[in-house]
Amino acid sequence: MDHNMDRRRFLRDAAAWSLSFSLILHWPFPFRIDHAEAVGRPTPPFQTRVGIGKGANYPQLVRRVIALIGGMEAFVRPGMRVVIKPNISFDRPPEMGATTHPMVVRTLAEMAVEAGADQVTIFDRTCNEARRCYHTSGILPAIEAMNSSTIRCEYIDGRKFVQVDIPEGRSLKNWTIYRDALEADCYINVPVAKQHGLAGLSLGLKNNMGVLGGNRGRLHRKLDQNLADLATIIRPTLTVIDATRMLLRNGPQGGRLEDVLINNTVIASADPLAADACATELFGQSPDQVGATVSAAAMNLGTLQMDRISRIEWP
Amino acid sequence: MRKTPPPTFWRRLSQVLFLVLFLVLFVQTDYQGKDELSGAINLLFRIDPLIGLSVSLTARSFVVLIAPSMFLLLSCFLAGRWFCGWACPMGTLLDASNPLVGSRKDNIPRPISKIRHGLLVIIFVGALFGLPLVGYFDPFAILVRGLTMSIYPAFSMAVEQLFTLTYQHGPPWLNFATEPLYRILRDHILPFEQKIFTLALPAAIILLTVFLMELFQRRFFCRNICPLGALLGMAARLAPWRIRNRQPGCRACGGCSEICRTGAIDDLGRVSNERCILCLDCLQQCPNHHFDFGRAKRASAAASEGLSRRALIGTIAAGIAVPFLFAVRPLRRHPEARLLRPPGARPEGEFLGRCVRCGECMQVCIGNALHPTFAEAGVEGMFTPRLIPRIGYCEYQCTLCGQVCPTGAIERLPASKKQKVVIGRAFIDRNRCLPYAKGIPCIVCEEHCPTPQKAIRFRSEKIENEQGTVIEVKQPYVIDSLCIGCGICENKCPLPGKSAILVTSAGESRHTSFGLNESSYIDPEYH
Repeated sequence: MDHNMDRRRFLRDAAAWSLSFSLILHWPFPFRIDHAEAVGRPTPPFQTRVGIGKGANYPQLVRRVIALIGGMEAFVRPGMRVVIKPNISFDRPPEMGATTHPMVVRTLAEMAVEAGADQVTIFDRTCNEARRCYHTSGILPAIEAMNSSTIRCEYIDGRKFVQVDIPEGRSLKNWTIYRDALEADCYINVPVAKQHGLAGLSLGLKNNMGVLGGNRGRLHRKLDQNLADLATIIRPTLTVIDATRMLLRNGPQGGRLEDVLINNTVIASADPLAADACATELFGQSPDQVGATVSAAAMNLGTLQMDRISRIEWP
Repeated sequence: MRKTPPPTFWRRLSQVLFLVLFLVLFVQTDYQGKDELSGAINLLFRIDPLIGLSVSLTARSFVVLIAPSMFLLLSCFLAGRWFCGWACPMGTLLDASNPLVGSRKDNIPRPISKIRHGLLVIIFVGALFGLPLVGYFDPFAILVRGLTMSIYPAFSMAVEQLFTLTYQHGPPWLNFATEPLYRILRDHILPFEQKIFTLALPAAIILLTVFLMELFQRRFFCRNICPLGALLGMAARLAPWRIRNRQPGCRACGGCSEICRTGAIDDLGRVSNERCILCLDCLQQCPNHHFDFGRAKRASAAASEGLSRRALIGTIAAGIAVPFLFAVRPLRRHPEARLLRPPGARPEGEFLGRCVRCGECMQVCIGNALHPTFAEAGVEGMFTPRLIPRIGYCEYQCTLCGQVCPTGAIERLPASKKQKVVIGRAFIDRNRCLPYAKGIPCIVCEEHCPTPQKAIRFRSEKIENEQGTVIEVKQPYVIDSLCIGCGICENKCPLPGKSAILVTSAGESRHTSFGLNESSYIDPEYH
């Protein structure tokens, strides 16, 4: 019995200590009832910064755009485990605009290492056969060519999906999510901007589906709300939208160059919704036309109002 | 001084090397990071003269793909059945498993050993008259099929489960050791994805039966059943280089006759070159060293075996008659609608004739889409590949099945051509499809449709859902002229159980009378 009591006391003491520490760290208690400015949400009272750049030299373009919003050092601190989540969902070459451009992914990985990341992992749960997608998209060859032990482009390991509760979810209450995405110190979401039959556009929120396990097709029944619910759990530190090529029609797979607009644009922001909103405008649509973004904004997951977004452009 | 290795050492070494080569090729029969494969297990089938000849008889022309097999046959005309003893992976595995199974030395009735000749005749006659049988008796087909459909997937499943257990429940120190090991296995030996196959059990049972037959006799299969062995044996009758007994009837101790694994040495110590597989056991074990390998006068050949004239004529007659029994079933005219063949498959009759049921296309299929057919194409179609979209779909840019098919039953097509081959067409079941039946948004099929202009499109319709509210949903529909039947829509349809979009073989382009035209609502007729 004594033995048992010891463990119980230990747990109680540990709980008390950690509670008091966390209370001290949070001083002065910023808890507010007003949800619009809840703690930890990327909606500060000031303007949200979104970097937008244009240029045909993609490594330079990515570096410039990240610099506009504070540089990679603002997101990656030394020793961090970084996850870069591009869109590798389909077996299409980069010029088809269905997957994130390999040079964008590669440059971000380089920048993360330069900022001191211990480990950079790149992955996506593909729709087509994984190896074909990784190779055809050019992302795996681009990463392998770097020959770096810090940067790894990995296939999904089925053992790593864990059941996750989504307490704030309005439609989606739980799902299996890839452990590496949840455990990353810094999660960089790198969608490619493209048209999507059901979602309207596939941007940052839609790209989050690539870390989900299970039968993802089921999410389509309430896709907009489900994507918003998902965004309460998967919170990218940084969203970089690849609009170097924009698939305008027959998305999300495409397959015809006629449907691709070469736009040489990259958008980056710490606020996932602000980034999506700016990308929506590239398609000539207004941000409130994309259901998922609207649903997420209704849950205060970011900024959608263009007057509260400060666009910092280069050149 | 070191002893020189015994002659059987070299034979064993050769067996091991060929087996390793075989296994490496087998594991390599998979996507290798490029659209084109370099080296696959089809090499084995292309050196198989049994398959070479029977497929040429079916095609009524020499099939160039299997030209290398003629070299093997030629080599047997010179040096006998060396292949059976020194190279055949099935033979090697049988030799290796024999100590585990152990053979009783029962006397096997003599007619049993004639089965192989009967099979050989019936395979060739059947091939000529439209009854393809070679795939059920060829040793490589049995072996590769068993490995592909059951042994390899089961092995992979066992390993995956073990390492999932250690990963999810093991302590960190254990994972420190097991994870690197798992990574090595995963990168070099295990399949990329766990596969499943419809006929996993029958394929395994057939393969295991071959091994269990060792119970009766060493190399029971090779001596009595293997039609490839029978063919090579017939060539070996003429071979000038062979194992000779320099003093037949020496002391008649019978030791050589006892140890011979193929029963090639009779009580008087005479060697039948038709049965001898050059294992060299007699060379090594004869106490008086009476055996050697060298050039022999043809006249010394022991009485050749084979079917009596009566049996030969009977077998040929059966080989001619039976195909007609098979031809009078309805499925020759009204094929099973859900029987989809891989892209590039030849018209059904020719396809069945050429296919050797080796399962290589299923081994290489990266979507696990190809599965062995049971009786859907008739019993003679068993183990031929069919696409089952609900289990796996045909990857749009992939051309691997055509690349590995050893006999061209599935034609090798460049991707641009393969993407135009219609293997079937999709139909939407509106009673199940969510936007139609329940007013619930979905169109997952449209999202995944890989044809660049989308063979599945959607219309926005206002519809009352189950709650009685009128909402606007996107309802999918199929454009026949664009649909190629890859089956990704059926595969990804998120409904539980049966898909709401189904692919049938209607409109498949291999039946040229139908071609790529629009009349996909009528059953295609075989010509």
